[in-house]
Amino acid sequence: MTELEDEQRLRLAALADVLIPGGAGLPSASAADVAGRWIDRTLAADPGLAVSVLAVVTGDVEDPHMHMKSVQHEDPVLFERFAFAVAGAYFMNPEVRRRFGYPGIAPLRLPAAPGEAEYYLEDDILAPVIERGPTHRLGDLTGS
Amino acid sequence: MTAPADVLIIGAGLSAGIAAKHLAEAGFGVVCLEQGEWVDPGALPGNKPEYEIAGANSWYPDPNVRGRSLDYPIDVSESDLPLYMFNGVGGSSVLYGGIWARAVPSDFRVRTLDGVADDWPISYSELLPFYEAVEREMGVSGLNGNPAYPAPYRVPLPPAPIHRTGRVMAEGMNRLGWHWWPGTNSIPTQRFGAQYECVRYGICRMGCPQGAKASTDVTHYPAAVSSGAQIVTRARVAEITVDERGLANGAVYIRDGVRHFQPASLVLLAANAIGTARLLLMSSSGRFPNGLANSSGLVGKRLMLHPYAASVGLYDQELEDWLGPGGEHIGSMQFYETDQSRGFVRGARWSLVPTGGPLEAVAKWKLSGEEFWGDGSADRMRQSIGRMIQWHIVPEDLPEETNHISLHPTLCDSDGLPAPKVHYRVSENTRRLVDFHLARTLEAHAAAGATRSWIAGRNYTSGHNTGTAKMGDDPETSVVDRNGRTHDVPNLYIIDGSVFPTSTGVNVGATISALAKRAATYLVTHRRDQVVAS
Repeated sequence: MTELEDEQRLRLAALADVLIPGGAGLPSASAADVAGRWIDRTLAADPGLAVSVLAVVTGDVEDPHMHMKSVQHEDPVLFERFAFAVAGAYFMNPEVRRRFGYPGIAPLRLPAAPGEAEYYLEDDILAPVIERGPTHRLGDLTGS
Repeated sequence: MTAPADVLIIGAGLSAGIAAKHLAEAGFGVVCLEQGEWVDPGALPGNKPEYEIAGANSWYPDPNVRGRSLDYPIDVSESDLPLYMFNGVGGSSVLYGGIWARAVPSDFRVRTLDGVADDWPISYSELLPFYEAVEREMGVSGLNGNPAYPAPYRVPLPPAPIHRTGRVMAEGMNRLGWHWWPGTNSIPTQRFGAQYECVRYGICRMGCPQGAKASTDVTHYPAAVSSGAQIVTRARVAEITVDERGLANGAVYIRDGVRHFQPASLVLLAANAIGTARLLLMSSSGRFPNGLANSSGLVGKRLMLHPYAASVGLYDQELEDWLGPGGEHIGSMQFYETDQSRGFVRGARWSLVPTGGPLEAVAKWKLSGEEFWGDGSADRMRQSIGRMIQWHIVPEDLPEETNHISLHPTLCDSDGLPAPKVHYRVSENTRRLVDFHLARTLEAHAAAGATRSWIAGRNYTSGHNTGTAKMGDDPETSVVDRNGRTHDVPNLYIIDGSVFPTSTGVNVGATISALAKRAATYLVTHRRDQVVAS
């Protein structure tokens, strides 16, 4: 697995904040530790993303905003891959997921409650569909 | 020497599973050759924090993205879209969404009704008993009485909740006076045979860690094996062989670099519309110089892919849009039938499907006309994650001989066998059809109260690969007969989606399953009349 160096993590944090500066009750990418354990988990899940992440975070980054703008303009595919890795790391953070209302750190077992299917069909919501009748053509051609 | 099989099935996917179980339980000695392996349910990503990363990589439905040696590469440089499939026990049913949709009567009479393509040699009513039979085998859940189908329309298991998403959209559809119906999915809402109850992970397209969704590695192969069927994994078939009478007598396959021969009395080909055509073309010989069973010249041609499209809407309320089954929450066939005034023929089925996770919601912004990242991205996340409804539309894709697969001159799989090359262009009829339907879905979003909606994509790959070995009564214009038997080789059957004369406008799993059940039933019923290899 690719291990980012400390300098690369610092640059990643700054660049990821350009994409996800936070606000509206959400942390920024760096505050969500995107450049720490979550990028490690992301790259472990898809080692192929490391090439794109390294390509963006390696070298001098004087102005993170200009750097990201340049990557997006010159290599949109690389930008998309980098943004995917950053977003993947961000959304893996349990606190971020919680703030979006997800019930757990991953999809959870949430079997339907008794009566739940019927509940969403209350008030005869299907009645007009049934009253309009068949939508299919030519029942007389169903025979062989 | 390897013992001969009564029935050799090439592939161990959806159709093969249905046939293998049926035939093994009827007493046939069945061997399946499968180039992939059994799927370890514990390895599936859907209930792990990395699920969306792995679902876009090692569990992505495009074999070119997965890049496993168990898959074969596909050259799509001359195709408008990539191809999806999965090689392993269960095949593409491991990674499909589980939306279960029968075709309708008019789908079998396209030439008669609309003057295009071809009628099927069988009708809806002929296939109906087999739809119903496989629905009982696949744990299909839904609500009885859908007026999109001839009455009585019955489903074995009760429906899943349509959720907030379905309810909001249903109210919008009612305002427009349009058809909708609670989702029908091959995902049981209660314990059903080998399948567990759906727990609504919402990630069906990455494989079901719960063992609920009907993939045949769960629903069929264990029972087939219990009845004596043998599943040989990592077995990549290189050639179907024929005897001196021109009958299929087995297959040469490669396992761990070693070539083997599996003799058989009867051969069933179930390798997906791409793999089946590829193997027939690879099995040319002096007797069959243009490929096996290809006297019509149609093997590999008429490829149909259902290039699906999507629209999304954003809503003010929290919708829990990630909740399964996914699968569909509701479906619509309002615009399924042909109306010539629209400027195209045929139609599409719509499915309201969960977004699955935040990465997928973010990905939908690409075509919104607004940059997602940067200042304001938090607001855009807040607006969309958990608050998005998406319509997927499955457009009928009419057959054209120019859309075809061929054997690649240089690209090979990990055993040195030629890869398929796909030549596929979306037709003008399909383009118009998709434009019309997308426009209607935007109207549906507006009626349902979306604060904003947009077209989220065209030419998505569906994995609905069909048409490359057409079914028909005339050997000059088709590859197999009404029972799936090849016209040229009377003990070689094709039982997968290759045989579709037209693609229908619905998800193809139900019809593939019903056709496989029908072919297997025919084989059992006519076992004494069946010519076999010596």
